Amino acid sequence: MHPRRRAFAFLVTAAAVAATGTVAALAAQTSHSSSAVTPKRGGHITIARIEDSTSFDKTNVFQNESIWIAEQINESLFEAGNDGKTLKPWLATSYTKSKDGKTYTFKLRKGVKFSNGKPMTSADVKFSIDDARAQAKGWGYLDAAIKSITAPNPSTVVFHLKFQWAPFVADIALFANGIVPKNFAGQSRTAFYKHPIGTGPFMWDKRVVGQSVTLKRNPFYWQKGKPYLDSVTWTFVTDENTRELQLRGGQIQVDEFPPFNSIDKLKKTSGITMSLFPSTRTDYLDMNELYPPLKDMHVRRAISYAIDRASIVKSVLFGYGTPANSQLPPQVPYYDKNAGGLQYDIAKAKAEMAKSKFPKGFKVQMLVGAGAQVENTIGQILQSALKQLGITVKFKTEDTSTEFNDIQSNKYQLGFSYWTMDIADPDELVTFALDPKGGAFSFYTHYNNPTVTSLSHQAQREVNPAKRAILYSKLQRIAASQANLGYLYYSPYRWAYTSKLHGFLVQPLGNYHLEDAWLG
Amino acid sequence: MSLTGYVARRLIQIVPIVLGVTVLVFFLIHLVPGDPARTILGNHATPHKVALLHREWGLDKPLPVQYWRFLKRMVRGDLGSSLFYSVPAGRLVVQRLPPTLWLIGLGTLFSVLIAVPLAALAATKRDRLPDQIVRAVPLVGLGFPQFWLGIMLLLAFGLHLGRGFPVGGYGSGVLGHLHSMFLPALTVALAIAPILVRSLRASLLEVFESDYVTTARSKGLSERRVLVRHALRNAVISTVSVLGVNIGFLVGGTLIVEQVFALPGIGQLMINSIFERDFPVVQAVTLAFAIMVVLVYLLTDVVHALLDPRVRFD
Repeated sequence: MHPRRRAFAFLVTAAAVAATGTVAALAAQTSHSSSAVTPKRGGHITIARIEDSTSFDKTNVFQNESIWIAEQINESLFEAGNDGKTLKPWLATSYTKSKDGKTYTFKLRKGVKFSNGKPMTSADVKFSIDDARAQAKGWGYLDAAIKSITAPNPSTVVFHLKFQWAPFVADIALFANGIVPKNFAGQSRTAFYKHPIGTGPFMWDKRVVGQSVTLKRNPFYWQKGKPYLDSVTWTFVTDENTRELQLRGGQIQVDEFPPFNSIDKLKKTSGITMSLFPSTRTDYLDMNELYPPLKDMHVRRAISYAIDRASIVKSVLFGYGTPANSQLPPQVPYYDKNAGGLQYDIAKAKAEMAKSKFPKGFKVQMLVGAGAQVENTIGQILQSALKQLGITVKFKTEDTSTEFNDIQSNKYQLGFSYWTMDIADPDELVTFALDPKGGAFSFYTHYNNPTVTSLSHQAQREVNPAKRAILYSKLQRIAASQANLGYLYYSPYRWAYTSKLHGFLVQPLGNYHLEDAWLG
Repeated sequence: MSLTGYVARRLIQIVPIVLGVTVLVFFLIHLVPGDPARTILGNHATPHKVALLHREWGLDKPLPVQYWRFLKRMVRGDLGSSLFYSVPAGRLVVQRLPPTLWLIGLGTLFSVLIAVPLAALAATKRDRLPDQIVRAVPLVGLGFPQFWLGIMLLLAFGLHLGRGFPVGGYGSGVLGHLHSMFLPALTVALAIAPILVRSLRASLLEVFESDYVTTARSKGLSERRVLVRHALRNAVISTVSVLGVNIGFLVGGTLIVEQVFALPGIGQLMINSIFERDFPVVQAVTLAFAIMVVLVYLLTDVVHALLDPRVRFD
């Protein structure tokens, strides 16, 4: 998922209540903990976000503020676990795989109904995923391995693949593959997604474009007794100060992304829970290899060594983050903690520069977003560090839409980007970030190492997890040693909410299951 | 020329003005770098997907062709569809117009309610302490940025002092709107009022020197009656012009207040649409702003003429 960036609105975040098991360990820092009491039924919460939702067509939308709401309505056969790495059965109860690894047979959960009261069958599943994979401008590319889908009986769905595809179940768990009624319950595609129907805990209530979206409890929800809340409203409040005041004043119950500099204050505020959830968000420094000095691996290594990640974490994240050491974040399967991402060492940086074709340095332009405080601060820290290597950094400030456009059009030399995972598998990120033919020209850096690309392709077809781990480990280590990107930091999701709200948990992929949330 | 004829002529003049604004905005917003397709697709923007969206939206056509299509649609009352919300841009503007109109209307009313008594007090107590205070305090107020003032009002009256007003939002129903819009309108009013106070005070002082005021006083009328019945009406004429110009600026300046108070008005819509390069919405909002500004100026002229019989509509 990729939240659209805003010049006037950088990051935010926050928290939640510990649930059970792994989740309790993962919900790293929560300022107040919930007591283990019986959930209460009823009540309404309002969640204020920095952006308004644009579309609920889950097959074509790339905006988190839309996706996270759509997930309350449409569910998938499998879902990512709370650790972000595992997968758990959801609308399906199990699956079997053929010996050649090209046929998957899913058994559907019994008793699942859509919010219109109609039972969910294999015909609905086949229709939904056939529709999702047909969306060329949307998420269809993640279903590219599917050759055909059959529905031999109402509770069984069979997927025939073109080839063995290791991330298949993770891809099936993608929100875009959420299940909708066959033929959109008799509506046109466009009309359906104006007020979608699904099997999720909440159903469509109303939307005022540019203001709010409200969902209400789905009376046919398959998890008996859930959801606890009667309804949920998401509002659109761009100003972070106003969101905080609304939370403190009780006008909203959840503030989606309070800024890092308000975390300490919110932790101390009575009646507010400030939570930091482990995320899959990784921030990068993009180095465009179409600019000759940055094509030189030694230069990239030098820059990577010169990034004082600890200072950045301290000044930008107020200490609430960790330096990144791999292309992948720790909450992704096959993350290698020994990937060897280069860490701050100015002596080594100088040594690398000496080995490069540009030992005396060069001039480079750094693209930063206008009003993007985080980028500007990191830029200044880097400018100062790179000066010691003879690299003169000049800033080019653009509004974020232009910045985005220029990075993707190769009109940049140094720039910033970040990624959060969509699936509980590294394949999508690795393809976009390291495969020059993966659609995004290696995150628009044009990094091209045939060995890395080959390892990525092998990992896609390698269904043995242990062998896959070795492939991804090798890939991470090679990429890190060549400094394909400047890995900056891992940061948590930040959520602030009323201490009366319990059972609220944000997963590493960024989504949350509101069927478990309740007001005490 | 009659008032009706004058208004009709001015309304007809809006057409070329609006047309000029659409040409300017259309080409400016399209020439600025940035691509709505890449904004929507984010890091998933592959050239293939970008091309598909461009084709769907007609952005793959030359700019003059796009403008011609825009004009043809506009003549039919169709301003195109929002690239992000997939709803008609015109409908989006109409939905978002009421909070902005409330803000401007109530803000203007509050500014008058603040400015008139203060200016009258200052003028009648010329160079004495009340006058000094009225002249100095609003000047300090002018130095406060609106976003700061808004946050302070929210903190004071939305959070700490009894929580009498909602922290942002538009409310529902007339009373709900009035309740919700009180602090935003006050923020706007506090920004405009100092200018009005100064203008009205200066006019009043000038009027106080005129012969007819001397005559009124010599007839034995009370100072209050002289002020209300004779001086204020004449002094307010120039202030109406000042107010008109400031409302014109205010129309464009609502966006900051709308951001701070989370008001779903067209100012906020404008900001987001520009950031997202939602071309049809930017054009529709600009059109709405242009019409509003022209109408405010027209209204100012009409009120001016009604207050001052010497003004003729030719």
